[in-house]
Amino acid sequence: MTQDPLSAFENNIAPPLKIRVLDFWGRLGGGLPRIPLYTLLAAPLGVFILYAFSQGWFFPAPFPETWTTSAFERVLSDSRTLTSLRDSLMIAAAVSLLSLVIGFPAARALGLRQFRGRQAAWLLLYLPTVVPPLAIGMGLNILFLQIGLAGSLHGIVLAHLVPTLPYVTFTLAGAFARYDEAYEFQAWVLGAGAWRTLFTVTLPMIAPSLAVAALFAFLISWSQYLLTLLIGSGRVITLPVLLFSAASGGNPVTIAVLALVFLAPPALVIVATARHLHGGEIREQY
Amino acid sequence: MRDRLIFSPWLALAPALTIIVLLLGASLAYGLAQSLGLMSGLNESSFSLRAYADLFSGQGIAGREFWGSLGFSLWVSLASTLISAFLALLLAFWLSGSRFDTLALNSNLAFPHLVWAIGLLLLLSQSGLLARWAASLGWISMPAEFPVLVRDKYGFGIILSYIGKEVPFLALLIISVLKTQPDGYNLVAENLGASRWQRIRYVTLPLVLPALLSGSLLAFAFIFSSYEVPALLGVNYPRMLPVLALRFFNDPDLSARADGMAISLVITVITLVVAWISLRKGEQ
Amino acid sequence: MTQVNITNLTKRYPNQPAPVLDNFSLFVENGEMVALLGPSGSGKSTLLKLITGIERPDTGDVQFDGVSILNLPPSKRGAVFMFQKSYLFPFLSVEENIGFGLKVKRTPRDEICREVGRMLELIGLPGIEKRKPSQLSGGEQQRVALARALVTHPKLLLLDEPLSSLDTEVRLGLQEAIRNIQQELKIATIFVTHDLGEAMAMSNRMAILLNGRVAALDQPNVLFHRPPCVESARFVGVNLFLSGEAANGWLDSAVGRVKIRDAKKAGRGVFAIRPEHIRLFKEPKENALPGVVQGCLYRGEYMEYQLALGGQTTRARLPLSAGMFAHGEPVFVQLPAENLFEVAG
Repeated sequence: MTQDPLSAFENNIAPPLKIRVLDFWGRLGGGLPRIPLYTLLAAPLGVFILYAFSQGWFFPAPFPETWTTSAFERVLSDSRTLTSLRDSLMIAAAVSLLSLVIGFPAARALGLRQFRGRQAAWLLLYLPTVVPPLAIGMGLNILFLQIGLAGSLHGIVLAHLVPTLPYVTFTLAGAFARYDEAYEFQAWVLGAGAWRTLFTVTLPMIAPSLAVAALFAFLISWSQYLLTLLIGSGRVITLPVLLFSAASGGNPVTIAVLALVFLAPPALVIVATARHLHGGEIREQY
Repeated sequence: MRDRLIFSPWLALAPALTIIVLLLGASLAYGLAQSLGLMSGLNESSFSLRAYADLFSGQGIAGREFWGSLGFSLWVSLASTLISAFLALLLAFWLSGSRFDTLALNSNLAFPHLVWAIGLLLLLSQSGLLARWAASLGWISMPAEFPVLVRDKYGFGIILSYIGKEVPFLALLIISVLKTQPDGYNLVAENLGASRWQRIRYVTLPLVLPALLSGSLLAFAFIFSSYEVPALLGVNYPRMLPVLALRFFNDPDLSARADGMAISLVITVITLVVAWISLRKGEQ
Repeated sequence: MTQVNITNLTKRYPNQPAPVLDNFSLFVENGEMVALLGPSGSGKSTLLKLITGIERPDTGDVQFDGVSILNLPPSKRGAVFMFQKSYLFPFLSVEENIGFGLKVKRTPRDEICREVGRMLELIGLPGIEKRKPSQLSGGEQQRVALARALVTHPKLLLLDEPLSSLDTEVRLGLQEAIRNIQQELKIATIFVTHDLGEAMAMSNRMAILLNGRVAALDQPNVLFHRPPCVESARFVGVNLFLSGEAANGWLDSAVGRVKIRDAKKAGRGVFAIRPEHIRLFKEPKENALPGVVQGCLYRGEYMEYQLALGGQTTRARLPLSAGMFAHGEPVFVQLPAENLFEVAG
C-alpha cells in the first residue's frame, strides 16, 4: 500500500523542513535587531574610513567624489605626525616595560602572601584609578617644572606610570592568587637558582596574565591625553595630543586619517594578545 | 634561600608604592597648596582661602561660572549614567551573551574615549556625515539647518558620546553577573508560578542591580572628572568643571591658577566620595 | 650511595603551641627506602621542607655523607622530591620536563637526549618525549615526575604521598615501579605516607612519626607484629591492651587473667595482641575471656567484630572460615599466649 505523494510529503518531508525554516527565521528575527547595534558600534570607525579615503568631498554630497589614499600619504609624510607617532610608541613601550617590572614584585606580594597591612597596600595601589587625572596632571605639572622633568619624555613616562601601575599590578596579582608556588620549589630542588627559576618557570606560568597586563599598560599609555598635555608642556606632542588639536581645527580628512593612524597600533597589539583575552579583562580596565 | 627570594612583601611592594605615593601625594599636595595661594609663582605667596571663597560665593571670574559649571557637570554626568544604565539593562537582557556579542562590546571598550568623541563629531556635526546625507536627501539645504547635536549648550553631544561608551561597559558588567547566576533560582521561581516578567523583577534584577549600581557610580565619577570629551564636544558656556579648571590653570594671570586648582580639588573630592560609595556598594 | 643523617630537628611555627617536629632524628643508609608513617599534621611534610631547604629548622642538623647541608640553598643540596601532584611544568614537553635538571647544569643537548631516553625506558614509558603533561594520565604524570627527579642523580629522594591521588590499580603498579627503580639505582629514599599497607610494601625500614618525633623505627614486619609502644601499636592496628600485674607467666589485668609466654616477667606491664590473632569461640577455651559481640562488619578479606571485653571495646579480625557470630552473642575471646607481647607504657 502506498501513500499518495502529497500525504507522503506532509508526513515525512514537511515536518523537518518546517522546523528548519522556522529555526532559520527565528534566528534571523532574533539576530535582526543586532544589526542596528553593530551599526552603532561600528559607526565612528566607518565615518573615519569614509573621510580618510576621500578627496574633494563637499557638502552636500553624501559620498566622496573620489577615493584615494593621498590623504594618508600627506599626513604620514608630515614630520609632525611621524614624530608624534614615534614618541607615542616609545613612551607606550617604555611605560609597558617599566610598569611590568615594577608591578611584578608588587603583584607577587599582593597575590601570594597574607600580611598585615595588605588591605592598606591594596587601597594605595587602587587610589590612582579614582583620583581624577586632571588633579594628578595639574599637580605633577608644578612638581615636574620644579625638578626639571617637565616637557621631557622621561617625565611623561613617569607620569604615565601612575594610571598604569594599578591595572598592571592587579592583573598580575590575580594570576598570583591562582598560582602554586610548589612549581618553583620543584625547579629549585632540580638545581635551578632563584633567577633561573624566575625566567624558566615563574614567567612562563603567568605568561597569559603578563600579556594582558602589558596590553593594559600599552592601551592606557597610548590613549593618555590630559596627562601628556599637562606634563609635556607643549614640548612633547604625542599622537592623541596631535589628534585632539586637529579635531579642534577642522579638516575632517586629516582628522579621520590621524584617527585611523591612532587606532592602528592598539588594534595590532590587541590582535597579538587576543589569545589571552576573554573579555572580562578589558572591562576591568575601568 | 627562601628568605632571600621571598623577601618581605613590603620590599616587593616598595617600588610600586613609592612611585604612587610620591607622585600622587605630591601632585595632590601641590594642588592643595596652590589652591590655598601658596606656591603660585608670584613674588608674594601667602596662605589664602580666596580661591575657595570666590568659588563658593560666586565672585570673581572663576566664581561666576563655578555653580553653573557644577550644575552642568552634574546634569551631564547624571543624564549619561542614568540613560546608559537603563539602556545597558535592556541590552544585557536582550543579548544572549554569545561570544560574538561580547566580542563586539569588548572591542568598543578598547576604543579610546577621545577617538569615539571625534568620530561622533565627524558624524553629527552640522557639516558632518549625517548632515551631508540629510542634504543629499533634500531635507536641508545648508549646514546651518542641521540640528546642533554636538558642541551644543545642553551637552547633548557630550552625553551621547559618553552613552556610546558606557552602555557597552555596563552591559558587559551585567552580562557577566547574569552568567554567574545559577539557573536554579530561575527554575525554582518558574516552578512556583512566576511569569517571565516576575522572574526578571524578583530574581534577576535584584541580582544584577548591586553590580549595576556600583558600575554606574564608577562611570559617574569618571564622567564627572574627565576632560577630553567635554573639551572637544562642548561649548564655551556652559563648561564642564574639568574644562573650567584647566582654563584657569592655563591662564597667563598666575593668580588664576589658584582658582583652577581649587576647582580641580573640588572635582577630586566629589569623585573620591562617589568612588568610595561605589566601592562599598561593590563589596556588599 | 649517600648516607643521610638527620639529627634533632626541631621546628616550631609561630602561632602553634607545640613544635611540629620535636627532636626528630633518622638515619638513612645503603640506598634504603625508609617509610615515614604518621597521622595528618604530624610534621611529615614539614620534615621534607626542612630537608630540601624550603624552610629552615630551629635546631638540629641534616647531613649528607657527614657534611651538613643546612647552609646550602635548595638548588645545591641534591635532595629532590615528588608530591601528590606531579607539578610537571605544563608549558614544557615530557622530555623538556625530564631534562630540566640537566639543562640547568648546562649538560650538552645530545647527552640530555640520551639520559631522557634512558629514563623513559626505566619508568616504562618509552616514546612519549614530545607529549605535553596535560596529555598524560595521572599515573603517567607521576612516572614522568619520578624520572625528572631521578635524572639529576640525587643524593636523596623524598616522596610525599605521591600515589594518594591515583586509582588503586595504577597505584599498585606504581608502587612496584618505584620500589624496583629505587632498588636498582640504590638512591636513599624517604617515603611519606599515611597508608600502612603501602609503607610496609615499599620500605626497608619504617618509622612512625608521632607528636613530632620518631615513636618507632624498625623493619616493617617487626613494627607490624611487635610495635614497641602503645601509640605506635595503635598506629599499626592494635587496639587491645591489657595492663596489669604479671607473675609466673600469668597476667592479672582489669580485663581478666591470661597466660603470657614470658614466665620470668614480674611486676607491672602492658600487653597487646593483634586483632587478627584474637579468636572467638562459643565455648570456653584456654586463655579465653568472656565477652559480647557488639557488631560485625564484612571487610571482604575478613570479618571484623566489635567486642565488649571486660569493660573495654576492642576489634577482632577473623577469617571468614572461622564461623559467624551474631550481634549480641556472648562469646569467649581467646588471646593465645604466643601472640601476646609486651609494649612500653
